[in-house]
Amino acid sequence: MAQADTPISQPKSAEKAYKAGWLNHRLNKDSTAKWILIAPLVVFLILFMVYPTVYSLYMSFTDYIMRGAPNMVGLDNYRWLMDDPVFWKALQRTLFVLVACIVIELTLGLAIAMLLNRDFPGQDLVRGLCFVPLLISPLAMSLMWNYMLHIQFGVVNDAITFFGLPAVGFLSTQGLAIWSIIFISVWQWLPFSIFVLLAGLRGLPRDQFEAAQVDGVPAWRVFLRLQLPMLMPLIIIIVLLRTMWLMRLFDPLYGTTRGGLDTELLDWMIYRTSFVEFDIGLGTAYAMFALYLTLIVCLLMYKRLMAAMNRG
Amino acid sequence: MLRKSLFWLAIAIILFAFTFPVFWVYVTSLKSPDDIFGTGLIFKPTLYNYEYIINVRPALNELLNSLIVSIASTAVVMAISVPAAYSFARFNTGNGHILFITISTRMFPGVVAAIPFFIAFRDLGLLDTHLGLTLLYVYFNMSFATFLLYGFFKEIPASLEYAAMLDGYSRIDILRKIVFPLIKPGVAITTMFCLIWSWNEFLYAFLFTRRIARTASVGLSTFWGSVEIQWGPMAAFMGIAILPTLLAAWLMQRHIVRGLTFGAVKG
Repeated sequence: MAQADTPISQPKSAEKAYKAGWLNHRLNKDSTAKWILIAPLVVFLILFMVYPTVYSLYMSFTDYIMRGAPNMVGLDNYRWLMDDPVFWKALQRTLFVLVACIVIELTLGLAIAMLLNRDFPGQDLVRGLCFVPLLISPLAMSLMWNYMLHIQFGVVNDAITFFGLPAVGFLSTQGLAIWSIIFISVWQWLPFSIFVLLAGLRGLPRDQFEAAQVDGVPAWRVFLRLQLPMLMPLIIIIVLLRTMWLMRLFDPLYGTTRGGLDTELLDWMIYRTSFVEFDIGLGTAYAMFALYLTLIVCLLMYKRLMAAMNRG
Repeated sequence: MLRKSLFWLAIAIILFAFTFPVFWVYVTSLKSPDDIFGTGLIFKPTLYNYEYIINVRPALNELLNSLIVSIASTAVVMAISVPAAYSFARFNTGNGHILFITISTRMFPGVVAAIPFFIAFRDLGLLDTHLGLTLLYVYFNMSFATFLLYGFFKEIPASLEYAAMLDGYSRIDILRKIVFPLIKPGVAITTMFCLIWSWNEFLYAFLFTRRIARTASVGLSTFWGSVEIQWGPMAAFMGIAILPTLLAAWLMQRHIVRGLTFGAVKG
């Protein structure tokens, strides 16, 4: 059987060898290799990025409601958006959450990273445990925090009432609920800042600090003049990535207030408009607005990041 | 001495804050329906909630769906991202513009992309299928995987490859024998991240699956019914669903400090 197959399969394998040779040849040339290697990514980018963007842009000029044919309505959706106080409130809230989270995470992250930046017994275990919140499902942890922060049977309020203080409705009080969501998000993502900054601190050259120490420069000046500027690329990375992730904060809302109590953020609003009220036209108009905003902010930071990375 | 005890106190507080909720998941999962609304650590542990998610409301199928979609999407992501990241790092393909476009897919507010995909998937019959969700997760993870791997590839000196080329190695041999062994830890970390993110993802799973391909995250949200939240069974389900990620955290922590720098810092 195998013998009978041989003569038939021979031309095939020859063809294969020829083809492999062709590919090999192409791959050996830098100018073609780089495009061959990148081709699958580009195909996916066109399918999954260009198509949705163009389609959303088109939809934002229509009155599509998930059924029937979309009618062109021109700039109606955008006109509505400009005068929509709910939208501006959600945008403002999103930016507030964004700034609050990043500031808290960077401050605490840097403090904890400096604390962990030494050798101590059990350091691997401590670092491993610090990493836990980052990897656990955000939805699961939001639901858990919802349970733990509950005003009646939450364990946090148990602790508070144990000390004789009144119970706090963390997720059921207007004004406080948004801070609870910020807290959940910070709890989850603080390890990210810690680990990136810790890696940065570990990678800093030692001799400059020793020189500064010998010269009697106070520690806070060494920190401000030497360490902070050297950590700048990493701080930009953190701000860039966290901006991208915080603009699409959804799980902590779904697991807790579901947009109630003045906690509606941009992503939730787009979700509600498009998938609950089925107003695709208006939903995509909100979405396009959010997209441009994020793109502009991130492009500016990306430019700075690339400059900082190439300098280092 | 005081400095030392302050240091350990700070460590203790940090560890407590980071791990307590996870501990509480398992505590809650062992509470009977009567104890759920009672407080504290003193209660009679029971396996009631675990029996509930095995017999009354089976959760195995959802865990299986999560596993299938996570593994399939991660495999595709790596097949796309490894060569692309190499190309970006070695040849600066597209002068940074394509790399920026790749990264910017993560800037899309999740829902923005969801609307066109939802309509397209509805017309293609991909709603509530494993294939549909896998494609979405490829899109979801591709950009960050490429960015992470880009950092790792950047750390490999190009001179190594030129030397091998002068010795007559072909590109494929160079990739196989020189680049790949050096990039292995980076590939491992990136794979792990993609697996975990697909496993944890909620928004797309929630919008794009109903019954057949429903993942564990969506299953978790179903315990929040219109009348009440079933905290006990939810905690039991959570306890099982987060187990793989806890394991991953344990495996990864050694490599993570290096992995998260994206090669930005040269030591």
